[in-house]
Amino acid sequence: MKKIRISRILIYLFLIVMFIISVFPFYWMIVGMTNSPVDVIKGKMTFGNHLLNNAKILFSQYDVKRIFFNSIKISVLTVIGSLAISSMAAYGFEFYPSKVREKTYAVILLSMMVPFAALMIPLFRLIVKLKLLNTHAGLILTSLASVFIIFFFRQSFKSFPKEIIQAARVDGAGEFKIFTSIVVPSMKSTYAAAAIYSFMTSWNAYLWPLIILQTDKQKQ
Amino acid sequence: MQLRKTSKSYEKTLDRYGWLFISIAVILLIVFMFYPIVYSLILSTMSSKGIVQKFVGFGNYTRLVKDEMFLKALKNTFAFLIIQVPIMLLLALVLAAILNDKTIKFRGLFRTGIFLPAVTSLVAYTILFKMMFSADGFINAGLMRLNIIKQPIPWLMDPFWAKVTVIIAMTWRWTGYNMVFYLSGLQSVPDELYEAAEIDGASKIQQFFHITIPMLKPIIVFTTIMSTIGTLQLFDEPMNLSQGGVTGATTGPGNSLLTLSVYIYNLCFKYMPNFGYAATIAYVIVFIVAILTFIQFKVAGDKE
Amino acid sequence: MNEAKARYTKDNPKVEIEIVDMAKADLEQKLHTMLASGVKDGLPDIVLIEDYNAQKYLKSYPGAFADLTGKIDHSKFANYKVGLMTVNGKVYGVPFDSGVSGFFYRKDLLEQAGYKPEDLNNITWDKFIEIGKNVKKATGKAMLGFGLDDGGLMRIMLQSAGQWYFDKNGNVNIANNEALKEAVKTYKAIVDADIIKKTSGWNEWVAAFNKGDTASVVTGVWIIGSIKAEATQSGKWAVAPTPRLNVSGSVNASNLGGSSWYVLEGTKGKDIAIDFLNKIYASDNDFYQKILVERGAMGSYLPAATGDAYSKEDEFFGGQKVFTDLSNWMKNIPSVDFGLYTYEADAAIMANMPDVYSGKITVEDALKKAEEQLKNQIGK
Repeated sequence: MKKIRISRILIYLFLIVMFIISVFPFYWMIVGMTNSPVDVIKGKMTFGNHLLNNAKILFSQYDVKRIFFNSIKISVLTVIGSLAISSMAAYGFEFYPSKVREKTYAVILLSMMVPFAALMIPLFRLIVKLKLLNTHAGLILTSLASVFIIFFFRQSFKSFPKEIIQAARVDGAGEFKIFTSIVVPSMKSTYAAAAIYSFMTSWNAYLWPLIILQTDKQKQ
Repeated sequence: MQLRKTSKSYEKTLDRYGWLFISIAVILLIVFMFYPIVYSLILSTMSSKGIVQKFVGFGNYTRLVKDEMFLKALKNTFAFLIIQVPIMLLLALVLAAILNDKTIKFRGLFRTGIFLPAVTSLVAYTILFKMMFSADGFINAGLMRLNIIKQPIPWLMDPFWAKVTVIIAMTWRWTGYNMVFYLSGLQSVPDELYEAAEIDGASKIQQFFHITIPMLKPIIVFTTIMSTIGTLQLFDEPMNLSQGGVTGATTGPGNSLLTLSVYIYNLCFKYMPNFGYAATIAYVIVFIVAILTFIQFKVAGDKE
Repeated sequence: MNEAKARYTKDNPKVEIEIVDMAKADLEQKLHTMLASGVKDGLPDIVLIEDYNAQKYLKSYPGAFADLTGKIDHSKFANYKVGLMTVNGKVYGVPFDSGVSGFFYRKDLLEQAGYKPEDLNNITWDKFIEIGKNVKKATGKAMLGFGLDDGGLMRIMLQSAGQWYFDKNGNVNIANNEALKEAVKTYKAIVDADIIKKTSGWNEWVAAFNKGDTASVVTGVWIIGSIKAEATQSGKWAVAPTPRLNVSGSVNASNLGGSSWYVLEGTKGKDIAIDFLNKIYASDNDFYQKILVERGAMGSYLPAATGDAYSKEDEFFGGQKVFTDLSNWMKNIPSVDFGLYTYEADAAIMANMPDVYSGKITVEDALKKAEEQLKNQIGK
């Protein structure tokens, strides 16, 4: 019994240390919000009184509301679209085994390994040709089919029992019905995780929006 | 005979559904990935100065062997891959196993906290890390007070320690991120499995190796491959933690943080733009990742 | 730029100007992507390009930039700025901000070490190191914040001698470059003399003098904004001419950074863009006075030096006429051809510096190695 208690304490200690290490930069960012730029550079770790001033600068130099809502709009649209399209694709790959599709899948996986920097110039040409330059559509369309999300869904689907699908088919359920009313609801945590990642990627995207959105109006 | 025929046409229907499910994604990928990839493959046979191009065939590939910068970048990238990825994934796995245990208190708080680094803005976090790891920074002060070291460690100024710093930074940023993948995978592992093991007298460590790891295998494969890809394309940390002063001549002291992706970036945007050569290096990365992925699938016993 | 826009649209109310602010690295990525893809859609009319990169852009994207020869009076700008934007006798840009360098120092700290402002005029780097040692003895403070892998000072030293990593024909000139050899030796001497506070990256470097940990900084004029950000040090600073190298031909004037305007060829707004640059950036003296006061931006437009703002005494620098002095030095900056591969050369040399500092290889060997590697890399 005593041994268990000690290991418990160790576990909590470990968690607390990890927690502090993880959260500390957040604390620092919040402190930074209240300090002047010079103090931040000098490494001041305590709260200052520059919060109002910093906020004033932020709101006077940038149209914060528009920036925020544009980011939200693009991110949300990307997440919803990409979750639907990618999970469907993963489902198709995992539950309808076929040699040709397996090869397609391998090629798709391979395409994920090409560093984006190598694709940027041709992709830019494409966007110009499709008249998508300077549009939010250009941003969203290019990130809808995410190989990364497809891959994640497929790996997660592997633990979904195939017998359930067979049983549903015997009961006469349609293929899309099986997907939307049996598979999707029971994979909620996978969808949640995928949504977080998709949102993060889209929210943090920097390089590509920078390239295809030309004016500040579009960016904000 | 009759039966076989229907089963065959049934298979055909299923096959059609298979294509239907993947169609949208595949079309989008063909448009937005296939064309750029083919284009850049062609580019990799050219040597260019901006738009002044000339055809060199495999010349770029033979040039690689003599390019010391490239070899250095390759070596650095592999050092990160071999050391950082295993540490991070193991840590994430252990954290996920602990935080999946229902008897642990404040699970939600710990999970959120440990995930936070993944959503911290890159700029803020690199500024902070540079400050903490500066010669007279917070980390050295702490270690010296605890009498662990006598001299301050030259974190970002020494080729070896610069790598250590980047490894710490990467682990900090991505451990929670991988942990969430594992946690989502563990949701589908029935609690009864652990309860039954508990009754059988299996220790927590035995449970970890005999239940958690086997059940999470597909997700572990996934995170390993994603981390491999991520590391071979590693860019953010070396770039932002190293920017040496006003002009940033090298990436880290003595180019110790130069990775393949940073080199590609430099070839496109910092040096005389040679997009052809940059594309060549990109395909070297693809080639390496493809081999590693294949090995990882094989080791995991997947059939693909 | 906003000031320029306001001035221009006052006389040309029909013209609409949109200004897009971008970090340097961002701009480079965007510009390279757009120029390389060969499409004209979405290109801006005017871009600001760092001087070190000018030749690279002009030669990698022939035809992408508008020839401004004869459309702008280039004789009104600092000579060295015009040289770097000229290709085959054609001038492609409008010089903008100057990177004229200075030896910015804390008067109070140097006085403690027994140095008066007169003692600091037109010194060599050897003298600088000697002063640094005495400052350290007297005050315990480091003389310089110093990034071990930062090539900024090396560029200052090289240009002060009218030399660069390449010769006039664009060939690599590293292993047998006396000025460069002296510069690398000076780097090592500065490190060995233990007069520096080692820093990594911009923020630490700026923090070193903001916190008062270092007694001086030798760099381009654009640093003044960062120095003044620490208001408590007002009155304690002064600026002297840049130290020179101990080689013949080296002068006490140099440059680090700086940028110029370029007009893109083939955009709709091209002619208006040229007119805009000509009317404001190449003619409007008053404009330069205003941006110096409000933005701290020092132009390379020579007539501006006689304006009110440039000849004003600066309280932060104890009443010194900082910009008059800097303008005078600017005229003496040797003109060098930055060539196409400045960043590659920088990297090749700095990559060997850790071994030079530790004494593992000699300066001569390091430069030989760097030259070989650079030649391999750029294929020459």
